[in-house]
Amino acid sequence: MRYNIAGIIVDMNVRFPRLKRQSAAYEYNGDRETNIKIRLTDRFFNEKLAENPHLDYEMIEYIWMGSEFYNALLHFNGMLLHSSCVVYEGKAYLFSAPCGTGKSTHTQIWLKQFPEAYILNDDKPAIRIAKDGIFACGTPFSGKTAQNVNSIVPIGGICILGRDTVNHIEPIDPDDALFNILNQTVRPPQEEDMDKLLATLDTVLRNVPVYRLYCNMEPEAAIVSYNGMKDKTKEG
Amino acid sequence: MMKTKKGFMLRSVAGRHVVVAIGQASVDFNGLITLNDTGAYIWERLAKGTTYEDLLKDMLSDYEVDEETAKSGIDAFLKTARDAELLDEN
Repeated sequence: MRYNIAGIIVDMNVRFPRLKRQSAAYEYNGDRETNIKIRLTDRFFNEKLAENPHLDYEMIEYIWMGSEFYNALLHFNGMLLHSSCVVYEGKAYLFSAPCGTGKSTHTQIWLKQFPEAYILNDDKPAIRIAKDGIFACGTPFSGKTAQNVNSIVPIGGICILGRDTVNHIEPIDPDDALFNILNQTVRPPQEEDMDKLLATLDTVLRNVPVYRLYCNMEPEAAIVSYNGMKDKTKEG
Repeated sequence: MMKTKKGFMLRSVAGRHVVVAIGQASVDFNGLITLNDTGAYIWERLAKGTTYEDLLKDMLSDYEVDEETAKSGIDAFLKTARDAELLDEN
């Protein structure tokens, strides 16, 4: 079966219910050539199961099919950003932070505050550079939750999230965000792939506004966050 | 001869010089080293392999500095690089 994920035609042999369910919205029957072919073999499943006895076949497929996709994504001017991505008024906002900081908690507050907002991907949106801009893309691989939408949306901002008792947000310099972002993507071990990642990251950081948000879990957090990022474009 | 260890690469991202690890080196080092312009200049030479004398000679011809200043810059860089175990020397 072929899928259109982030504008890339992916041929995957999906066997188990979880990924079948999550990838259904991405099925593709058009004429474009396949860009990426991913095959997970029986042997691969059994090896991974031996290394990770707490997982089952279904989770192994979900995790490693995603991992193969995100590795290949590097070769299509794209990268993974571990973040929760919410879309509102036609713009995508990505909230990135280490696990347990409250990325999904924050985007859930957006959904309550802004009824038309939706989650593009709750954990692993793809970022892609195109001729006409830089976009966040839904993918079937959305972490623990099934929250993802097959859509491609221009990015309004990337936000490094931290906790505080009061809500405040400020723009930060691209190089200030570099460390956080490199820690929230998968660093490829091959030099060629690493080169692609750093080139993509360079373009993203030069063109997308980046912020640091400190927030609590009150409704006001979404308002402060939205007001800090809306209608902004990269200066210079 | 001094040379940066295998598996570290210097690139420019968002106007900043960064060094990241790849391959086997990335198993032990998952951080990020940022360098200023002079640091990147020294790193580039060390990546190709150089000696202290050649490094000093290069710096004196490329930068308008006196020998003492160049030496202290190089020494400070080498100390940091050695402490972080980023250099192979023989």
